[in-house]
Amino acid sequence: MGNLSKYFAVVSVALLIILAVSPMKDFFREWKGYQYAYNRLVATLPQRVKTAEIGIKQIWVQKLDRVDRCETCHLGLKEEALKNAKQPFRTHPLIHHDIEEFGCTMCHGGQGVATEYKESIGNVKFWAQPMLPGNFIEASCGKCHKEQSVPKAPVLNEGRKLIEESNCVGCHKIEGYQKLWVPPLDGIGSKVNRTWLVQWLKNPKQYFSGTRMPNFLLNDEDADNLADFLMTFNTPPNNSQLKLLPSSLKSLPDARKAKLIDKGSTLFGEARCISCHLINGKGGYVATDLGKIGSKVSEQWLYNYIKEPKVLMPNVQMPRYRFTENDLTSVVAYMESEFVDFDVQQLPPHTPDPASYEKGLALFKKYNCGGCHALQGISGSSELGPDLTYVGSKKTYEIDFGNTKIEQTLPSYLRTKLLDPRVFSLVAKMPKFGFSDEQAIAVTVALMSNTGERIPEEYMVRPEPASHFVPQGQFGQLVKDLACQSCHVMDGTGRLVATDLSMEASQAQPQWIKAYFKVPYSLRPILTERMPNFFLSDAEINVLADYMEKVFVVDSLDRTIKSEPAMVSEGKRLYYERYGCQSCHMIGGKGGYVGPPLDKAGSRLKPGWIFHWLKNPEAYKPQSIEPDNKLTDHEADALTAFLMTLK
Amino acid sequence: MNRLTEQLVRSRVWRSIFRHGLPLSNRARAEAVFYNFFLHVHPTKVRRRSIKFTYTWGLGGLSAGLFIILTVTGALLMLYYRPSIHQAYWDMKDLQFVVSSGQFLRNMHRWAAHAMVAIVFLHMLRVFYTGSYRPPKEFNWVIGVVLLVMTILLSYTGYLLPWDQLSFWGISVGTNMVRAVPFGTGDRISYLLLGGNIVGENALVRFYVLHCFVIPVAAMVFMGIHFWRVRKDGGV
Repeated sequence: MGNLSKYFAVVSVALLIILAVSPMKDFFREWKGYQYAYNRLVATLPQRVKTAEIGIKQIWVQKLDRVDRCETCHLGLKEEALKNAKQPFRTHPLIHHDIEEFGCTMCHGGQGVATEYKESIGNVKFWAQPMLPGNFIEASCGKCHKEQSVPKAPVLNEGRKLIEESNCVGCHKIEGYQKLWVPPLDGIGSKVNRTWLVQWLKNPKQYFSGTRMPNFLLNDEDADNLADFLMTFNTPPNNSQLKLLPSSLKSLPDARKAKLIDKGSTLFGEARCISCHLINGKGGYVATDLGKIGSKVSEQWLYNYIKEPKVLMPNVQMPRYRFTENDLTSVVAYMESEFVDFDVQQLPPHTPDPASYEKGLALFKKYNCGGCHALQGISGSSELGPDLTYVGSKKTYEIDFGNTKIEQTLPSYLRTKLLDPRVFSLVAKMPKFGFSDEQAIAVTVALMSNTGERIPEEYMVRPEPASHFVPQGQFGQLVKDLACQSCHVMDGTGRLVATDLSMEASQAQPQWIKAYFKVPYSLRPILTERMPNFFLSDAEINVLADYMEKVFVVDSLDRTIKSEPAMVSEGKRLYYERYGCQSCHMIGGKGGYVGPPLDKAGSRLKPGWIFHWLKNPEAYKPQSIEPDNKLTDHEADALTAFLMTLK
Repeated sequence: MNRLTEQLVRSRVWRSIFRHGLPLSNRARAEAVFYNFFLHVHPTKVRRRSIKFTYTWGLGGLSAGLFIILTVTGALLMLYYRPSIHQAYWDMKDLQFVVSSGQFLRNMHRWAAHAMVAIVFLHMLRVFYTGSYRPPKEFNWVIGVVLLVMTILLSYTGYLLPWDQLSFWGISVGTNMVRAVPFGTGDRISYLLLGGNIVGENALVRFYVLHCFVIPVAAMVFMGIHFWRVRKDGGV
């Protein structure tokens, strides 16, 4: 009986201890320690800061479906006085969004409901998406912001640009990106030589460091087979034939050849090829590098291409210059003699593998070359890589980290994958794009902004609907032929390298436009001259100018100005004395260099444009640095009257 | 002292409850047990041999005790838990992070549930090895088997309620196994259980009702019969 009592006593005490542990644990919760520490810290501050009431604090955002308890410990988020305090009490940096309205995890990720440090970071078992590291935070901006350029998110914007330029959509499915034009491979056998092709396939960036073509890390045998396969395609698209040069350059006597080259050099400069093309790394960024073109393409192909670019490469954004046969020959002669790669190592003589066609075709399909390049009859599957539509929602446990020792999170996986695409698996096929670490982070950020999170439409910022403006008729033909839209925007379509032409004829007078096509020049002395001379005929210039005069106008910009002498002299006074326009603009060789000279403003601009421009410059060119001087209508009229006298 | 007891026993309150005086004779003791609602499950006579702890190991009593713990903690958990797809998992998280002693409550419910399955099984083994299923106790063995099945079903239905990956796939696999029942009835039983063809909102509510009401009430009824029979057959 005595023994039984002892057992009973021991068991009872054990039970009491167990029952006491739970309330104890509850009493000594981690967050309570932080709240007491905060109140102690606040007491030492010179400023008056409200102490925290002990208890769990949370932000409930019903529309975004989240409860974030981060504020339980991060107590000083809105207290200016705690700008330099230690975490978790530091003030939150100023952001556009209201914390109460968006919560914390919408941007930072992690486990918002947690009230313990480790659990809230989310790098724990059974929580698939830990907090985003600071340098990846812009990924969250992109969850809602789908517009072209997201304000205050440079990394995200850079990443999206890189994804578009790298043509990731050639192999992956990613929403919101366009597939860019890539040179088709039809007729490549008659375009390039085998030596160049093999070396290009092995490492494209060696030939042109700015190329968008990634490195597929081919071994010698694969590069040989793929090159032999591609060299068999020597018929240009649509079965067109390459025309022969009027006279073969090699057979010409040296003296005549030198004269041709000399003339070609002048024409090459006048045509301003380097507005778009690079020469050994210097020049425009719109088209490829021409620095070693002579060692890449045959002179026959070059002649035919410059003559009619779109015949050899449908849809290419290369203008068709109106060269005469003789001029064209001299340009080709100049390029073939000047732009040569002197370091090129000729490959040893090579007999193609009898099975090279089959092997090359297999390689072409394996690496999905057809995802980007068109090649007659051989279609690439447009989505060979994983679907990246919701890649930002990929769970850590779904990722195969292979044998790598990197941090096991999604951002670290993507960043590593972009830097070294085959590191996780030997059978991976993704090519190497040669991104720098900053670029890899940017692309990771842009990718991670594609999540499967369901966000209410009212929070989403969608891109502006794309314009479908396609110029028609004779004008449309010329725009296509001259590839105007690879530099100019017209009613929302085109690439903005030069000016937006949508209201050009409200701005400039038709006579000036016509003269400009004859001899293009740069309006600002500090800019390089970039508009090429296409050597257009008068009839063509009339078509362009007439169309612009009738279509690229905005009626509200029309205004007639009375050019009375009193107005003119008042305008002159305003120009020189009241507003000091001469500090940026030049008239008669005197004035500043920042703005365009106004010497011939009266024969270039229309009065309505000058008036409205002076009233509100940013309404017409948002990036303009022309100040808005808040002119009255009368002042603007007077200035316009004065400027219109400068002819 | 004796007078005080006598006064108490004679008082109207005592008489209204017990209807008789102190059971001083053997017959009166037997009757007191027999006519009392709370004591009537007791046998009027118990063999010394069967009181020995190492005969029963107290396994049946432990199972009943765990059932009580599970009922109490389960009732408390029901205060915080809502059986809907959208809220179930987050209510788990709130129990973990916000509710006072919430995690303790959950852990107690979970461990007691695991222990109950194990102990009920051990109880059955003990009954088997001591031959206690033999006549006249064969009916009680059958009830015991029913109770074992109910214990396992309680454990299984509770498995879905946290609504995490483990729950979802556990129940998916289980109900797919049900589909294998022949004669074209498998699909129908599975449909009945899930309230649909996949594990979803309806399945969650069905499993919740089974877990918190239907099976516990049925188990209590069978436990009543089980205990009654044990006692009447001279067990502890």
